[in-house]
Amino acid sequence: QEAAKYNKKVMVLDFVKPTPLGSSWGLGGTCVNVGCIPKKLMHQAALLGQALEDSRKFGWQLTEEVKHNWLTMTESVQNYIGSLNWGYRVALREKSVAYENAYGEFVGPHTVKATNKRGAEKLYTAERFLIATGERPRYLGIPGDKEYCISSDDLFSLPYCPGKTLVVGASYVALECAGFLAGLGLDVTVMVRSILLRGFDQDMANKIGDYMEGHGISFIRQFVPIKVEQIEEGTPGRLKVTAKSTNGSETIEGEYNTVLLAIGRDACTRTIGLDKVGVKINEKTGKIPVNDEEQTNVPHVYAIGDILEDKLELTPVAIQAGRLLVQRLYAGATRKCDYVNVPTTVFTPLEYGACGYSEEAAAETFGEENIEVYHSNFWPLEWTVPGRDNNKCYAKVICNLQDNERVIGFHVLGPNAGEITQGFAAAMKCGLTKEQLDTTIGIHPVCAEIFTTLTVTKRSGASILQAGC
Amino acid sequence: MGWDEKQVRGYSEFVRTAQSYHGRPIFVLFCGDKDADGVSWCPDCVKAEPVVRKELHNMPDGSVFIYCLVGDRPYWKDPNNEFRKNLKLTGVPTLLKYGTPQKLVEEECFKADLVRMLFTED
Repeated sequence: QEAAKYNKKVMVLDFVKPTPLGSSWGLGGTCVNVGCIPKKLMHQAALLGQALEDSRKFGWQLTEEVKHNWLTMTESVQNYIGSLNWGYRVALREKSVAYENAYGEFVGPHTVKATNKRGAEKLYTAERFLIATGERPRYLGIPGDKEYCISSDDLFSLPYCPGKTLVVGASYVALECAGFLAGLGLDVTVMVRSILLRGFDQDMANKIGDYMEGHGISFIRQFVPIKVEQIEEGTPGRLKVTAKSTNGSETIEGEYNTVLLAIGRDACTRTIGLDKVGVKINEKTGKIPVNDEEQTNVPHVYAIGDILEDKLELTPVAIQAGRLLVQRLYAGATRKCDYVNVPTTVFTPLEYGACGYSEEAAAETFGEENIEVYHSNFWPLEWTVPGRDNNKCYAKVICNLQDNERVIGFHVLGPNAGEITQGFAAAMKCGLTKEQLDTTIGIHPVCAEIFTTLTVTKRSGASILQAGC
Repeated sequence: MGWDEKQVRGYSEFVRTAQSYHGRPIFVLFCGDKDADGVSWCPDCVKAEPVVRKELHNMPDGSVFIYCLVGDRPYWKDPNNEFRKNLKLTGVPTLLKYGTPQKLVEEECFKADLVRMLFTED
């Protein structure tokens, strides 16, 4: 849409290869269809369930037991997604961007072949190309995986309640899905090969895991599935999972209605003819290395989004990179995408917002003696009356002692973590220091105010257990 | 097989008619009432109708085209009218594919290529 603004003739080729179970979706990419959007809506569904429980202590009289209907939720979510898909179709049309629901692959340096779902082929040529093909969930490569397991590609439009679910993986996809499924009242087990949330601050990752475990989600650690068999067909059916320990020869078996695989995502770069145009990819990961202007090794081919090597896999990053790229190419702009201090949020039952360095990365980059970690537990006021966990929510900032105690890492575990983090990310972009944080007056009574009164350092070892306001 | 057209007036008649065609693709054009001379109180509806009619042959085989008069201007302006409340319509003319989130509202209905896209989209 950005390029069309500058009167360029633009075409979009979007095609979704159906999952092994046949799931597919419309225009909009992963975020809209099988990622952020349905995830957040289902997370919200789970939070509302919790809110209904809490409401009793606030005086609401719920006369019946509150139950959840999977189909009602899924229908509403898919309806919303459908309106987004349609909105994009109208927007592209209005901006005169040509759109084809066809699988694009390079057949020459400036030529792409587009194959639609009926197999009809068309050829298109262009001056420049932008690859944003994203990723798809990885399968385990074990017997029964493609036949019987589902992935996040299937979950958000599943036409039946998944029932008792085994989630395989420890990524944010795995934990977020496990989280809302349990929040909707399902029996959920998470099978983890090694650590939780690889790449994230491990202190925070472990707190997230502990919270989930304390709220009825079972964790099977240091096991990987080796076989999935069907005991009974159905919607859902019954599956038997055999898993092997990662240290030792112990095997275990379990029975579940649904097995959700969330062990990673692979870039869709191997079957789009990149060899025909000469674009280099990382053979091992499939990711495309680009320079700081999103240009591949082939000057007229660019790439954005999850397929980029060593870049954050986040929707807003891809959108920003794409817009700035087009502005540089066609509007004489010079601004490049800033990949530093990009805030993120993990929507697990206890949400986690972060911006900047994890504790481990900060210690490695600056040296442990050169950073100061301030932290505290906090108890959201809204949790007091219903008697929900004290000393589970947590706030942490990491400061660079060699640079005016510049805040280089921001971490919050608690409700509305994303809303809290957004503002602090902007402050960090302005060079926020601990002193500025301390001289900012807090808003009371809100969770975020804790960041204006952090005094206890990890180094001191002092207690951060809370009693109340 | 072609397609069929049904003209209805008011919410109840619309719902009954749409339900009777359950199973077939249903496209609906909602317009303001027409006076004795056949002219609608809604000028945008007057403009959109010929554009939509010209594209009807693009509807899939077996489709039903429902031409629905919503009521007079005061009825339409009432924020609690059944079309606004139950179908979430925000303006007339509205052209939609019944049972899906696909719709075109007001000036979008003047654009032949958008209308065609609505009729031919999977």
